[in-house]
Amino acid sequence: MAARPRPTSDEAREALQSAMARLADGDQSALEEIYRATRVKLFGITLRILGDRKEAEDALQDVYVNLWQRADRYDPSRASPIAWLAAFARNRAIDRLRTGKVRAGAVPVEEAAPLPDQTPLADALLVDAEQTAQIHKCLGALDARTQGHIRAAFFEGKTYAQLAEAADVPLGTMKSWIRRGLQRLRACLEASEKA
Amino acid sequence: MSGPEDTGPDVQRDDPMIAAEWALGLLEGEELLAARGKYATDPAFAWRKEWWDDWFAPLSDAMPGAEPGEHVWDGIAARIAAPQVPAQDPAAPAANVIELQAKVRRWQWVAAISSMAAAVALALFLTSPISRPVAPPVQVAAAAPMVATVPIGETGLRLDVTYIPDSQRMVVGAVGLKTDGVHDHELWLVPADGSALQSLGVVAPGEVRSMELPQAVTAKLGDGASLVLTREPIGGKPAGKDAGPVVAKGAFTRV
Repeated sequence: MAARPRPTSDEAREALQSAMARLADGDQSALEEIYRATRVKLFGITLRILGDRKEAEDALQDVYVNLWQRADRYDPSRASPIAWLAAFARNRAIDRLRTGKVRAGAVPVEEAAPLPDQTPLADALLVDAEQTAQIHKCLGALDARTQGHIRAAFFEGKTYAQLAEAADVPLGTMKSWIRRGLQRLRACLEASEKA
Repeated sequence: MSGPEDTGPDVQRDDPMIAAEWALGLLEGEELLAARGKYATDPAFAWRKEWWDDWFAPLSDAMPGAEPGEHVWDGIAARIAAPQVPAQDPAAPAANVIELQAKVRRWQWVAAISSMAAAVALALFLTSPISRPVAPPVQVAAAAPMVATVPIGETGLRLDVTYIPDSQRMVVGAVGLKTDGVHDHELWLVPADGSALQSLGVVAPGEVRSMELPQAVTAKLGDGASLVLTREPIGGKPAGKDAGPVVAKGAFTRV
Protein backbone atom coordinates (compact mmCIF):
# COMPACT_ATOMS: atom_id res chain seq x y z
CA MET A 1 0.00 0.00 0.00
CA ALA A 2 2.79 2.37 0.87
CA ALA A 3 4.12 2.13 -2.67
CA ARG A 4 1.00 3.60 -4.21
CA PRO A 5 1.11 7.30 -4.95
CA ARG A 6 -1.13 9.42 -2.80
CA PRO A 7 -0.53 12.90 -4.12
CA THR A 8 -3.95 14.27 -3.26
CA SER A 9 -4.08 13.13 0.34
CA ASP A 10 -4.17 16.55 1.96
CA GLU A 11 -6.55 17.97 -0.61
CA ALA A 12 -8.88 15.02 -0.28
CA ARG A 13 -8.88 15.33 3.47
CA GLU A 14 -9.55 19.05 3.35
CA ALA A 15 -12.34 18.57 0.82
CA LEU A 16 -13.92 15.95 3.05
CA GLN A 17 -13.51 18.11 6.13
CA SER A 18 -15.24 21.01 4.42
CA ALA A 19 -18.01 18.78 3.11
CA MET A 20 -18.61 17.50 6.65
CA ALA A 21 -18.84 21.08 7.88
CA ARG A 22 -21.34 21.96 5.15
CA LEU A 23 -23.33 18.85 5.99
CA ALA A 24 -23.54 19.97 9.60
CA ASP A 25 -24.99 23.23 8.29
CA GLY A 26 -27.72 21.30 6.52
CA ASP A 27 -26.29 21.37 2.99
CA GLN A 28 -27.74 18.25 1.40
CA SER A 29 -25.40 18.35 -1.60
CA ALA A 30 -22.50 17.83 0.80
CA LEU A 31 -23.80 14.36 1.55
CA GLU A 32 -23.41 13.24 -2.06
CA GLU A 33 -19.90 14.64 -2.13
CA ILE A 34 -19.04 12.73 1.03
CA TYR A 35 -20.63 9.61 -0.39
CA ARG A 36 -18.65 9.82 -3.62
CA ALA A 37 -15.42 10.29 -1.73
CA THR A 38 -15.86 7.67 0.97
CA ARG A 39 -18.23 4.97 -0.30
CA VAL A 40 -15.50 2.59 -1.48
CA LYS A 41 -13.68 2.64 1.83
CA LEU A 42 -16.81 2.45 3.96
CA PHE A 43 -18.38 -0.27 1.82
CA GLY A 44 -15.15 -2.22 2.12
CA ILE A 45 -15.62 -2.05 5.89
CA THR A 46 -19.29 -3.02 6.05
CA LEU A 47 -18.72 -5.79 3.53
CA ARG A 48 -15.78 -7.14 5.46
CA ILE A 49 -17.70 -7.21 8.72
CA LEU A 50 -21.05 -8.42 7.40
CA GLY A 51 -19.82 -10.73 4.67
CA ASP A 52 -22.96 -10.28 2.62
CA ARG A 53 -23.30 -7.77 -0.16
CA LYS A 54 -26.94 -6.98 0.37
CA GLU A 55 -26.53 -6.56 4.12
CA ALA A 56 -23.40 -4.50 3.63
CA GLU A 57 -25.22 -2.21 1.19
CA ASP A 58 -28.11 -1.80 3.61
CA ALA A 59 -25.66 -0.98 6.38
CA LEU A 60 -23.93 1.51 4.11
CA GLN A 61 -27.24 3.25 3.41
CA ASP A 62 -27.90 3.47 7.14
CA VAL A 63 -24.47 4.99 7.65
CA TYR A 64 -25.08 7.87 5.26
CA VAL A 65 -28.72 8.45 6.17
CA ASN A 66 -27.71 8.53 9.81
CA LEU A 67 -24.84 10.83 9.00
CA TRP A 68 -27.28 13.21 7.35
CA GLN A 69 -29.64 13.15 10.30
CA ARG A 70 -26.94 13.64 12.88
CA ALA A 71 -24.14 15.45 11.11
CA ASP A 72 -23.53 17.50 14.25
CA ARG A 73 -22.16 14.40 15.95
CA TYR A 74 -18.87 14.69 14.13
CA ASP A 75 -16.40 16.76 16.11
CA PRO A 76 -13.62 18.00 13.80
CA SER A 77 -11.26 18.43 16.73
CA ARG A 78 -11.34 14.75 17.62
CA ALA A 79 -10.21 12.77 14.61
CA SER A 80 -9.78 13.01 10.89
CA PRO A 81 -13.14 12.76 9.15
CA ILE A 82 -12.26 9.53 7.40
CA ALA A 83 -11.14 7.93 10.66
CA TRP A 84 -14.39 8.95 12.26
CA LEU A 85 -16.45 7.75 9.30
CA ALA A 86 -14.56 4.45 9.22
CA ALA A 87 -15.29 3.87 12.90
CA PHE A 88 -18.90 4.91 12.36
CA ALA A 89 -19.34 2.47 9.47
CA ARG A 90 -17.71 -0.37 11.35
CA ASN A 91 -19.82 0.31 14.44
CA ARG A 92 -22.98 0.25 12.33
CA ALA A 93 -21.97 -3.00 10.68
CA ILE A 94 -21.18 -4.57 14.06
CA ASP A 95 -24.56 -3.36 15.37
CA ARG A 96 -26.18 -5.20 12.52
CA LEU A 97 -24.26 -8.36 13.29
CA ARG A 98 -25.23 -8.15 16.94
CA THR A 99 -28.91 -7.42 16.50
CA GLY A 100 -29.29 -10.80 14.87
CA LYS A 101 -30.20 -9.59 11.41
CA VAL A 102 -27.25 -11.31 9.87
CA ARG A 103 -26.41 -14.93 10.42
CA ALA A 104 -23.43 -15.26 8.18
CA GLY A 105 -20.69 -13.22 9.78
CA ALA A 106 -17.56 -12.00 8.13
CA VAL A 107 -16.09 -13.52 5.00
CA PRO A 108 -12.42 -14.19 4.37
CA VAL A 109 -10.58 -11.34 2.71
CA GLU A 110 -10.28 -12.99 -0.69
CA GLU A 111 -14.05 -13.24 -1.08
CA ALA A 112 -14.66 -9.62 -0.25
CA ALA A 113 -14.40 -8.32 -3.82
CA PRO A 114 -11.49 -5.96 -3.40
CA LEU A 115 -10.93 -3.07 -5.74
CA PRO A 116 -7.17 -2.85 -5.92
CA ASP A 117 -7.07 -0.16 -8.58
CA GLN A 118 -9.01 2.89 -9.65
CA THR A 119 -10.58 3.27 -6.25
CA PRO A 120 -11.67 6.89 -6.25
CA LEU A 121 -9.97 8.67 -3.38
CA ALA A 122 -9.94 5.53 -1.30
CA ASP A 123 -6.20 5.53 -1.00
CA ALA A 124 -5.99 9.26 -0.56
CA LEU A 125 -8.29 8.95 2.41
CA LEU A 126 -6.15 6.78 4.57
CA VAL A 127 -6.16 7.61 8.22
CA ASP A 128 -3.36 9.68 9.67
CA ALA A 129 -0.02 7.98 9.04
CA GLU A 130 1.51 8.67 12.43
CA GLN A 131 -1.50 7.33 14.24
CA THR A 132 -1.50 4.29 11.98
CA ALA A 133 2.11 3.52 12.78
CA GLN A 134 1.46 3.85 16.51
CA ILE A 135 -1.49 1.48 16.75
CA HIS A 136 0.40 -1.10 14.71
CA LYS A 137 3.44 -0.70 16.92
CA CYS A 138 1.42 -1.09 20.12
CA LEU A 139 -0.51 -4.05 18.74
CA GLY A 140 2.73 -5.59 17.59
CA ALA A 141 4.11 -5.36 21.11
CA LEU A 142 1.46 -7.78 22.37
CA ASP A 143 2.12 -11.49 22.34
CA ALA A 144 1.18 -13.09 19.04
CA ARG A 145 -1.78 -14.99 20.44
CA THR A 146 -3.45 -11.98 22.03
CA GLN A 147 -2.71 -9.86 18.99
CA GLY A 148 -4.34 -12.46 16.76
CA HIS A 149 -7.51 -12.51 18.82
CA ILE A 150 -7.77 -8.72 18.95
CA ARG A 151 -7.29 -8.54 15.20
CA ALA A 152 -9.93 -11.21 14.64
CA ALA A 153 -12.35 -9.19 16.75
CA PHE A 154 -11.62 -6.04 14.78
CA PHE A 155 -11.51 -7.44 11.26
CA GLU A 156 -14.08 -10.20 11.49
CA GLY A 157 -16.43 -8.82 14.11
CA LYS A 158 -16.01 -11.85 16.37
CA THR A 159 -17.48 -11.94 19.86
CA TYR A 160 -15.74 -13.32 22.93
CA ALA A 161 -17.76 -16.50 22.59
CA GLN A 162 -16.81 -16.99 18.93
CA LEU A 163 -13.15 -16.32 19.65
CA ALA A 164 -13.19 -18.76 22.57
CA GLU A 165 -14.81 -21.42 20.44
CA ALA A 166 -12.38 -20.93 17.58
CA ALA A 167 -9.42 -21.15 19.95
CA ASP A 168 -11.04 -24.01 21.90
CA VAL A 169 -10.56 -22.35 25.27
CA PRO A 170 -13.08 -21.49 28.00
CA LEU A 171 -14.88 -18.20 27.57
CA GLY A 172 -13.36 -16.83 30.77
CA THR A 173 -9.89 -17.57 29.50
CA MET A 174 -10.48 -15.70 26.25
CA LYS A 175 -11.88 -12.73 28.17
CA SER A 176 -8.84 -12.63 30.43
CA TRP A 177 -6.44 -12.79 27.49
CA ILE A 178 -8.13 -10.03 25.57
CA ARG A 179 -8.67 -7.78 28.58
CA ARG A 180 -5.04 -8.06 29.55
CA GLY A 181 -4.15 -7.28 25.94
CA LEU A 182 -6.44 -4.27 25.86
CA GLN A 183 -4.98 -3.02 29.10
CA ARG A 184 -1.45 -3.23 27.72
CA LEU A 185 -2.59 -1.68 24.45
CA ARG A 186 -4.11 1.24 26.29
CA ALA A 187 -0.94 1.80 28.32
CA CYS A 188 1.16 1.76 25.16
CA LEU A 189 -1.14 4.17 23.29
CA GLU A 190 -1.36 6.52 26.25
CA ALA A 191 2.40 6.55 26.57
CA SER A 192 2.63 7.56 22.91
CA GLU A 193 0.16 10.39 23.48
CA LYS A 194 2.31 11.79 26.28
CA ALA A 195 5.51 11.53 24.28
CA MET B 1 -14.22 -17.87 35.43
CA SER B 2 -10.52 -18.15 34.79
CA GLY B 3 -9.26 -21.02 32.70
CA PRO B 4 -6.20 -23.12 33.44
CA GLU B 5 -3.99 -21.26 30.99
CA ASP B 6 -4.39 -17.96 32.75
CA THR B 7 -1.38 -16.33 34.22
CA GLY B 8 -1.39 -13.29 36.42
CA PRO B 9 -4.33 -11.58 38.04
CA ASP B 10 -7.51 -10.90 36.12
CA VAL B 11 -7.83 -7.43 34.72
CA GLN B 12 -10.42 -5.34 36.47
CA ARG B 13 -13.38 -4.81 34.17
CA ASP B 14 -14.02 -1.15 34.83
CA ASP B 15 -15.81 1.30 32.53
CA PRO B 16 -12.73 2.12 30.40
CA MET B 17 -12.28 -1.60 29.80
CA ILE B 18 -15.93 -1.99 28.78
CA ALA B 19 -15.46 0.95 26.41
CA ALA B 20 -12.49 -0.84 24.86
CA GLU B 21 -14.42 -4.08 24.51
CA TRP B 22 -17.28 -2.21 22.88
CA ALA B 23 -15.03 -0.31 20.47
CA LEU B 24 -13.47 -3.59 19.42
CA GLY B 25 -16.97 -4.98 18.85
CA LEU B 26 -16.88 -7.71 21.47
CA LEU B 27 -20.02 -6.81 23.35
CA GLU B 28 -23.37 -8.36 22.56
CA GLY B 29 -26.84 -8.67 24.02
CA GLU B 30 -27.59 -6.83 27.21
CA GLU B 31 -24.02 -5.72 27.72
CA LEU B 32 -24.09 -3.98 24.35
CA LEU B 33 -27.36 -2.27 25.12
CA ALA B 34 -26.16 -1.19 28.54
CA ALA B 35 -23.00 0.24 27.00
CA ARG B 36 -25.08 2.24 24.53
CA GLY B 37 -27.13 3.63 27.37
CA LYS B 38 -24.03 4.55 29.29
CA TYR B 39 -22.56 6.21 26.21
CA ALA B 40 -25.48 8.57 26.04
CA THR B 41 -25.44 9.52 29.68
CA ASP B 42 -21.84 9.27 30.86
CA PRO B 43 -19.41 11.70 29.18
CA ALA B 44 -16.30 9.98 30.56
CA PHE B 45 -17.45 6.66 29.16
CA ALA B 46 -18.36 8.24 25.82
CA TRP B 47 -14.97 9.93 25.66
CA ARG B 48 -13.17 6.67 26.28
CA LYS B 49 -15.23 4.81 23.69
CA GLU B 50 -14.36 7.43 21.08
CA TRP B 51 -10.75 7.37 22.18
CA TRP B 52 -10.63 3.68 21.33
CA ASP B 53 -12.58 4.22 18.09
CA ASP B 54 -10.02 6.83 17.01
CA TRP B 55 -7.11 4.55 17.80
CA PHE B 56 -8.61 1.49 16.15
CA ALA B 57 -9.73 3.40 13.03
CA PRO B 58 -6.40 3.16 11.17
CA LEU B 59 -6.65 -0.61 11.26
CA SER B 60 -9.52 -0.35 8.78
CA ASP B 61 -7.04 0.85 6.17
CA ALA B 62 -6.12 -2.81 5.84
CA MET B 63 -9.66 -3.67 4.73
CA PRO B 64 -9.81 -3.59 0.94
CA GLY B 65 -12.22 -1.09 -0.53
CA ALA B 66 -15.22 -2.23 -2.54
CA GLU B 67 -17.68 -0.54 -4.86
CA PRO B 68 -21.30 -0.65 -3.72
CA GLY B 69 -24.13 -0.98 -6.24
CA GLU B 70 -25.43 2.20 -7.83
CA HIS B 71 -28.82 1.74 -6.21
CA VAL B 72 -27.26 2.43 -2.82
CA TRP B 73 -26.96 6.14 -3.45
CA ASP B 74 -30.46 6.23 -4.95
CA GLY B 75 -31.77 4.69 -1.77
CA ILE B 76 -29.93 7.20 0.40
CA ALA B 77 -31.14 10.11 -1.71
CA ALA B 78 -34.72 8.87 -1.51
CA ARG B 79 -34.57 8.41 2.24
CA ILE B 80 -33.21 11.86 2.97
CA ALA B 81 -35.45 13.59 0.42
CA ALA B 82 -38.74 12.07 1.51
CA PRO B 83 -38.89 11.42 5.21
CA GLN B 84 -41.64 8.94 5.87
CA VAL B 85 -43.92 8.41 8.77
CA PRO B 86 -43.39 5.01 10.36
CA ALA B 87 -45.93 2.54 9.10
CA GLN B 88 -47.73 2.05 12.40
CA ASP B 89 -51.09 3.68 12.70
CA PRO B 90 -50.93 5.94 15.74
CA ALA B 91 -54.49 5.04 16.68
CA ALA B 92 -54.04 1.37 17.52
CA PRO B 93 -57.12 -0.71 16.86
CA ALA B 94 -59.13 -1.47 19.97
CA ALA B 95 -58.74 -5.17 19.38
CA ASN B 96 -55.01 -4.86 19.83
CA VAL B 97 -55.46 -3.11 23.14
CA ILE B 98 -57.74 -5.83 24.42
CA GLU B 99 -55.30 -8.46 23.26
CA LEU B 100 -52.50 -6.59 24.94
CA GLN B 101 -54.39 -6.34 28.20
CA ALA B 102 -54.97 -10.05 28.14
CA LYS B 103 -51.34 -10.76 27.48
CA VAL B 104 -49.49 -8.32 29.63
CA ARG B 105 -50.05 -7.57 33.27
CA ARG B 106 -50.71 -3.96 34.21
CA TRP B 107 -49.91 -2.44 30.86
CA GLN B 108 -52.73 0.02 30.80
CA TRP B 109 -53.09 3.02 33.03
CA VAL B 110 -56.19 4.71 31.79
CA ALA B 111 -58.58 5.20 34.66
CA ALA B 112 -58.55 7.98 37.19
CA ILE B 113 -55.30 8.04 39.04
CA SER B 114 -54.58 9.23 42.54
CA SER B 115 -54.64 12.95 43.07
CA MET B 116 -50.93 13.46 43.59
CA ALA B 117 -49.89 11.35 40.63
CA ALA B 118 -52.60 12.98 38.57
CA ALA B 119 -51.32 16.44 39.38
CA VAL B 120 -47.78 15.53 38.52
CA ALA B 121 -48.77 13.65 35.40
CA LEU B 122 -50.89 16.58 34.29
CA ALA B 123 -47.94 18.90 34.78
CA LEU B 124 -45.87 16.54 32.71
CA PHE B 125 -48.39 16.60 29.93
CA LEU B 126 -48.56 20.36 29.98
CA THR B 127 -44.82 20.77 29.79
CA SER B 128 -44.13 17.92 27.40
CA PRO B 129 -43.51 18.54 23.69
CA ILE B 130 -46.98 17.37 22.73
CA SER B 131 -48.38 20.83 23.31
CA ARG B 132 -45.97 22.31 20.78
CA PRO B 133 -46.33 22.22 17.01
CA VAL B 134 -45.30 18.79 15.85
CA ALA B 135 -42.32 18.69 13.51
CA PRO B 136 -42.57 16.31 10.58
CA PRO B 137 -41.31 12.94 11.71
CA VAL B 138 -37.93 11.98 10.37
CA GLN B 139 -37.32 8.45 9.32
CA VAL B 140 -34.50 7.17 11.43
CA ALA B 141 -31.89 4.73 10.23
CA ALA B 142 -32.63 1.22 11.31
CA ALA B 143 -30.43 0.84 14.33
CA ALA B 144 -30.59 4.32 15.84
CA PRO B 145 -31.23 3.69 19.51
CA MET B 146 -33.19 5.89 21.89
CA VAL B 147 -32.02 6.65 25.36
CA ALA B 148 -33.45 8.31 28.41
CA THR B 149 -31.96 9.29 31.72
CA VAL B 150 -34.28 9.46 34.68
CA PRO B 151 -32.60 11.25 37.59
CA ILE B 152 -33.95 10.28 41.00
CA GLY B 153 -34.53 13.49 42.88
CA GLU B 154 -31.42 14.98 44.43
CA THR B 155 -29.84 11.62 45.12
CA GLY B 156 -27.46 11.67 42.18
CA LEU B 157 -28.86 8.27 41.28
CA ARG B 158 -30.57 7.68 38.01
CA LEU B 159 -32.10 5.15 35.70
CA ASP B 160 -30.51 4.62 32.32
CA VAL B 161 -33.01 3.45 29.75
CA THR B 162 -32.01 2.38 26.27
CA TYR B 163 -34.32 1.22 23.52
CA ILE B 164 -33.10 -0.35 20.28
CA PRO B 165 -35.79 -0.20 17.60
CA ASP B 166 -34.28 -3.07 15.62
CA SER B 167 -34.44 -5.55 18.44
CA GLN B 168 -37.55 -4.11 20.11
CA ARG B 169 -35.68 -4.53 23.35
CA MET B 170 -35.37 -2.07 26.15
CA VAL B 171 -32.66 -2.08 28.76
CA VAL B 172 -33.28 -0.48 32.12
CA GLY B 173 -30.23 0.09 34.25
CA ALA B 174 -30.87 0.88 37.91
CA VAL B 175 -27.32 0.53 39.11
CA GLY B 176 -26.80 2.16 42.49
CA LEU B 177 -30.47 2.08 43.42
CA LYS B 178 -31.30 0.24 46.63
CA THR B 179 -34.61 -1.14 47.73
CA ASP B 180 -36.11 0.14 50.99
CA GLY B 181 -37.89 -3.17 51.47
CA VAL B 182 -41.29 -1.50 51.49
CA HIS B 183 -41.63 -0.05 48.02
CA ASP B 184 -40.97 -0.91 44.43
CA HIS B 185 -40.66 1.61 41.63
CA GLU B 186 -42.57 1.17 38.43
CA LEU B 187 -41.56 2.71 35.15
CA TRP B 188 -44.16 4.08 32.74
CA LEU B 189 -43.96 5.17 29.15
CA VAL B 190 -45.67 8.50 28.41
CA PRO B 191 -46.39 8.41 24.65
CA ALA B 192 -45.87 11.65 22.79
CA ASP B 193 -49.33 11.40 21.23
CA GLY B 194 -51.00 11.84 24.61
CA SER B 195 -52.41 8.33 24.71
CA ALA B 196 -52.55 6.23 27.85
CA LEU B 197 -49.43 5.61 29.88
CA GLN B 198 -48.00 2.14 29.53
CA SER B 199 -46.22 0.25 32.26
CA LEU B 200 -42.71 -0.85 31.48
CA GLY B 201 -42.64 -2.89 34.64
CA VAL B 202 -41.07 -2.72 38.06
CA VAL B 203 -37.49 -1.51 38.21
CA ALA B 204 -34.97 -3.95 39.65
CA PRO B 205 -32.72 -1.98 42.03
CA GLY B 206 -29.02 -2.41 41.43
CA GLU B 207 -29.51 -4.33 38.21
CA VAL B 208 -29.46 -3.89 34.48
CA ARG B 209 -32.45 -5.63 33.00
CA SER B 210 -33.46 -6.18 29.44
CA MET B 211 -37.01 -6.73 28.25
CA GLU B 212 -38.70 -7.30 24.96
CA LEU B 213 -41.47 -4.82 24.29
CA PRO B 214 -44.75 -5.69 22.58
CA GLN B 215 -45.26 -3.99 19.25
CA ALA B 216 -48.18 -1.99 20.66
CA VAL B 217 -45.76 -0.38 23.09
CA THR B 218 -42.91 0.17 20.66
CA ALA B 219 -45.33 1.91 18.31
CA LYS B 220 -45.67 4.60 20.99
CA LEU B 221 -41.97 4.91 21.48
CA GLY B 222 -41.33 7.75 19.08
CA ASP B 223 -39.64 11.09 19.44
CA GLY B 224 -41.02 13.06 22.33
CA ALA B 225 -41.96 10.00 24.35
CA SER B 226 -41.02 10.34 27.98
CA LEU B 227 -40.87 8.26 31.12
CA VAL B 228 -42.16 8.61 34.64
CA LEU B 229 -41.26 6.57 37.68
CA THR B 230 -43.86 5.96 40.38
CA ARG B 231 -43.50 4.63 43.91
CA GLU B 232 -45.60 1.53 44.41
CA PRO B 233 -46.08 -1.26 46.92
CA ILE B 234 -43.72 -4.21 46.51
CA GLY B 235 -44.59 -5.92 43.25
CA GLY B 236 -45.78 -2.81 41.49
CA LYS B 237 -49.11 -1.05 41.13
CA PRO B 238 -51.83 -3.43 42.32
CA ALA B 239 -54.44 -4.21 39.68
CA GLY B 240 -57.47 -2.01 40.09
CA LYS B 241 -55.65 0.48 42.34
CA ASP B 242 -54.38 3.90 41.43
CA ALA B 243 -50.74 4.36 40.59
CA GLY B 244 -48.48 5.78 43.29
CA PRO B 245 -46.78 9.19 43.30
CA VAL B 246 -44.46 10.14 40.47
CA VAL B 247 -40.94 10.34 41.88
CA ALA B 248 -38.90 10.95 38.74
CA LYS B 249 -39.22 11.63 35.04
CA GLY B 250 -37.11 11.71 31.91
CA ALA B 251 -37.40 12.03 28.14
CA PHE B 252 -36.12 9.95 25.25
CA THR B 253 -33.58 11.26 22.79
CA ARG B 254 -31.98 9.60 19.79
CA VAL B 255 -28.37 8.60 20.16
